[in-house]
Amino acid sequence: MRKLEEVLEDWEAVIGLEIHAELTTLETKMFCGCKLEFGAAPNTHTCPVCLGMPGALPVPNKAAIESIVLAGLATNCDIEKRSMFYRKNYMYPDMAKNFQTTQGPVAFCMRGHLDLAVDGPAAKERYRLDKLAPGDVDGNITRTESGYVAHVGITRIHMEEDAGKMVHLGGGEGRIAGATHSLVDYNRAGTPLIELVTEPDLRTPEEARLFMQKLRQIYLAIGISDCSMEEGSLRCDGNVSLRRRGATEFGTKTELKNMNSFKNLHDGLAYEICRQAEVLEEGGQIYQETRHWDPSKKCTIVMRVKETADDYRLFPEPDLAPYDLSDEFIEGVRAKLPELPDEKAARYEADFALSAYDARHLVEHRVTANFFEACMEAAGADAAKLAKPAANLIINDVTAQMNADAAFDLDACALTPARAVELVQLVSDETISSKQAKEVLSAVLAEDADPAAIVEARGMKQVSDAGAIEAVVDAVIAANPDKVAQYQGGKTGLIGFFVGQCMKEMKGQGNPKLINELLAKKLG
Amino acid sequence: MAQNFSCLGAAELRRGLLAKEYSATEVARDALFRVRALDGAVHAFLETTEELALSQAAALDAAVAEGRGAELGPLAGVPVAFKDNMNLAGTHTTCSSNMLRNYVSPYTATCVQRMLDAGALGLGKLNMDEFAFGSSTETSAFGPTCNPWDVERVPGGSSGGSAAAVAAGLACVTLGSDTGGSIRQPGSFCGLVAVKPTYGVVSRYGVVAFGSSLDQVGPFARSVEDAALAMNALAGRDPLDCTSQAVDADFTANLAEGVRGMRVGVVPAFMEAQGLAPEVRAKVQEAADHLRKLGAEIVEVDLPNAQAAMSAYYVLGPCEAFSNLARFDSVRYGYCDPGHADLGAQYEASRHRGFGPEARRRIMLGSYLLSSGVYETYYYPAQQVRTLITQDYARAYEQVDVILAPVAPRTAFRFGEVTDPTSMYLSDMFTISINIAGNGGMSMPAGLGADTGLPVGVQLIAPQFKDENMLRAAAALETVYGPAPVAPAFAPGAAAPIGAEADIPDAAQAVPGVDLPGGPWQQDAGVAGDQDVPDDARGQIAVAEGAAEQA
Repeated sequence: MRKLEEVLEDWEAVIGLEIHAELTTLETKMFCGCKLEFGAAPNTHTCPVCLGMPGALPVPNKAAIESIVLAGLATNCDIEKRSMFYRKNYMYPDMAKNFQTTQGPVAFCMRGHLDLAVDGPAAKERYRLDKLAPGDVDGNITRTESGYVAHVGITRIHMEEDAGKMVHLGGGEGRIAGATHSLVDYNRAGTPLIELVTEPDLRTPEEARLFMQKLRQIYLAIGISDCSMEEGSLRCDGNVSLRRRGATEFGTKTELKNMNSFKNLHDGLAYEICRQAEVLEEGGQIYQETRHWDPSKKCTIVMRVKETADDYRLFPEPDLAPYDLSDEFIEGVRAKLPELPDEKAARYEADFALSAYDARHLVEHRVTANFFEACMEAAGADAAKLAKPAANLIINDVTAQMNADAAFDLDACALTPARAVELVQLVSDETISSKQAKEVLSAVLAEDADPAAIVEARGMKQVSDAGAIEAVVDAVIAANPDKVAQYQGGKTGLIGFFVGQCMKEMKGQGNPKLINELLAKKLG
Repeated sequence: MAQNFSCLGAAELRRGLLAKEYSATEVARDALFRVRALDGAVHAFLETTEELALSQAAALDAAVAEGRGAELGPLAGVPVAFKDNMNLAGTHTTCSSNMLRNYVSPYTATCVQRMLDAGALGLGKLNMDEFAFGSSTETSAFGPTCNPWDVERVPGGSSGGSAAAVAAGLACVTLGSDTGGSIRQPGSFCGLVAVKPTYGVVSRYGVVAFGSSLDQVGPFARSVEDAALAMNALAGRDPLDCTSQAVDADFTANLAEGVRGMRVGVVPAFMEAQGLAPEVRAKVQEAADHLRKLGAEIVEVDLPNAQAAMSAYYVLGPCEAFSNLARFDSVRYGYCDPGHADLGAQYEASRHRGFGPEARRRIMLGSYLLSSGVYETYYYPAQQVRTLITQDYARAYEQVDVILAPVAPRTAFRFGEVTDPTSMYLSDMFTISINIAGNGGMSMPAGLGADTGLPVGVQLIAPQFKDENMLRAAAALETVYGPAPVAPAFAPGAAAPIGAEADIPDAAQAVPGVDLPGGPWQQDAGVAGDQDVPDDARGQIAVAEGAAEQA
């Protein structure tokens, strides 16, 4: 198979996502009073309603309606004042009533969008981005200095209930094939679920990944779900089709499932695009089918062929009256809308003169954004000066710590905002070097001590005495005549080697700025 | 020895209890005795609830003995029974279907609970057409119920058992459900006060659904007062049914007011309808004359779209039924055909054998009508017709306070006399439009038909949420016709009818063999085969072997 970059030269990939989020932050299920709890003993959170016992009736959970309206407002959707629940009829044991209560043509939230900032390596998948100049518009994208912004339409967000969970025994790896028993746990049945459907506006796997990441940030910010892709509270299906560059008709699409991480979402889509290209280039045909991404084998396999469209016999749910949302209700929900990641990032750019890149990364996690704001508060009058180094500390060092250790809790760790400010202050006034700062950070976390005290105790102060530095610089130059010759012969990249040697001599305490200046002067 | 308490009225029963003329336990024992002695002749009961009735009675007796008589509910000591599509925890709820032959309710329907909370003594569960599909109770998987007025005739349906029980004096009040006429038509056939309230007045929670947008629960009684007392107990908002409404009417309040000044509508198109038996037409005219003499003004009203109600009903009803009955799939409860290797085959065989022909017919019909390409042609226009009919009624009630109409086109027919489905469906020609519009309607006994000598009811139809209007007009007619009698063959003092001794299972025996305690699970035929379910999977529900293949 060819590489994605090559395939995308000849083919345009058309991608749409269907993203399910369980409203895990609610107390109870969508249509009954059963508790929502992940991991409870099977069938312990059940009642006649979510078990579909004869005679049981649904009563909608108002808080769930609030949650979906919140999601709609946060994704620029129109909130439909009058919408209805529908019954989607199909028989399967995980759905006790043998119909799923969902919504019809009019969902609570319609016609939204998100704008994705795509830059760095992520922008490379975009076809011929280099042909555009900043400010140029091509379809739904606008070129920026560092990449582009993609405007991605959201068709709708509708409310529905989750099914129970099936466990297959006797077959391999809990799979359906070869199973001798199938068990159903209805604890999950009736969990409030919102499904967001995008327009087919995405063109690269990176855009799909970024959309999913951005949506997750938003859902976390508004607090409607824990958005755990691992536990399945945030799930994504992708619809992919290819068409030749320049073509306007859509190709046949396949539906991709089991992309339960951002990486799997990207890799699954990338594989499927390449697979489809290969089939088409060999004169084959794409069938409308559901495919399963296998992350261990790194390929997609057919789950189910859809020969004809499923007939779900959708009709309005007679047990639930049409839902009329008052302006008062909608405005009440709007009032609960917190500052969204995009708004927060814009504020950081304006108030603290951060770059768009820094601001965006700070708001990626609620904890890092909150931590940054606490730092700025602690910095007081120095906030403007310390914003950039504090942002760097958080984006680079703190985030690395969070990524390395899942149990790391920024709110509870020894690095308080006051200590973080103290640390960047030490770098800023050149008391310690940025290299030393990393060591101090580790020490703060390990010893639960103030940065200044650590610097004091370890005698780590940065040497900015020009005389002392000059002596070391001279010694290093004298010890490496061959390298000096090479440098002077044009290999200026060797400056790093000399700085490193000087730092080593000075046990990391030399002022790198001064070392650099002196080296440049002396190597001439 | 029998004192025939079930043949008394509710108010009288309560008065006697408070006066300590008899105890509730005596009432309960006597009522249960009467059921066992006489039900064999009508087959109204599918199951009795002796323990429940006696424990309810003991609580009432204790209250009286402790001087807490004032706390007695308005239905204290009233023997009642419930259509078998109403859940009562610990009893079978079969819907008269083989599909649910062994199903035991894990919970109690709101309407049932409200009757018990009002002090009523629950005697048991009553026969019906399978899943309420029918107008004669002949589709019951457990055999038909007989009309106490003539045991060779049907009691009507689908709430035939509920009607027969009251007509035979086996209960004072029973509950039925009405989707297209299933309370009113048997009410007419058995000569009873039979009320289908406005949609939303009584909670449907716990009543096995047929047509969710049409179903409504209501009482059968032998007097308007008893029906009104039951309505008081039943009506009102239930947080478990979001289509239920708050109701603050006291349905007994205006029964004695008479009809002076009331405007009563008659619908010429109904009176001229083809198929309306002359004796029934005569009774409706007679009732109109009585009401006029009592001071009501008779006004002709037009319901131009009502003739389309039947067509709309046989679209909407089957569509909702198709979906409502989908849960009976042999997996968690209900009949499971054994020995199938894959889920699809198990579904198919279990549903084929578990459902009777009429249930299968309606499921097939609904499945077809909702399928893509067909939906637009039938379901959508049917909903439009529904709107038109609802508007027709609303317009009519700008002129009148209540409408008088026939209930059924004729009196009770013989078993097997009506065999083709379409003729059977016509039994509901005067009742269906009321379900479509959502209004309240009731059957009020107007004596015996001139030709057949069988009971004839007239229908009173109320504006939405003005059910008290029809009860008021009914009470006025009752001053002329008198309260409904117990059918002569079953009246106190009559010789026991042939086949009277009944052998009815008791609910107390229903529970053993059913894995009820500890969870709401029914382990009747629910698990195909006898596979060993691994220990670590306990608490999960076993599905047929090979469920896998179905995906």
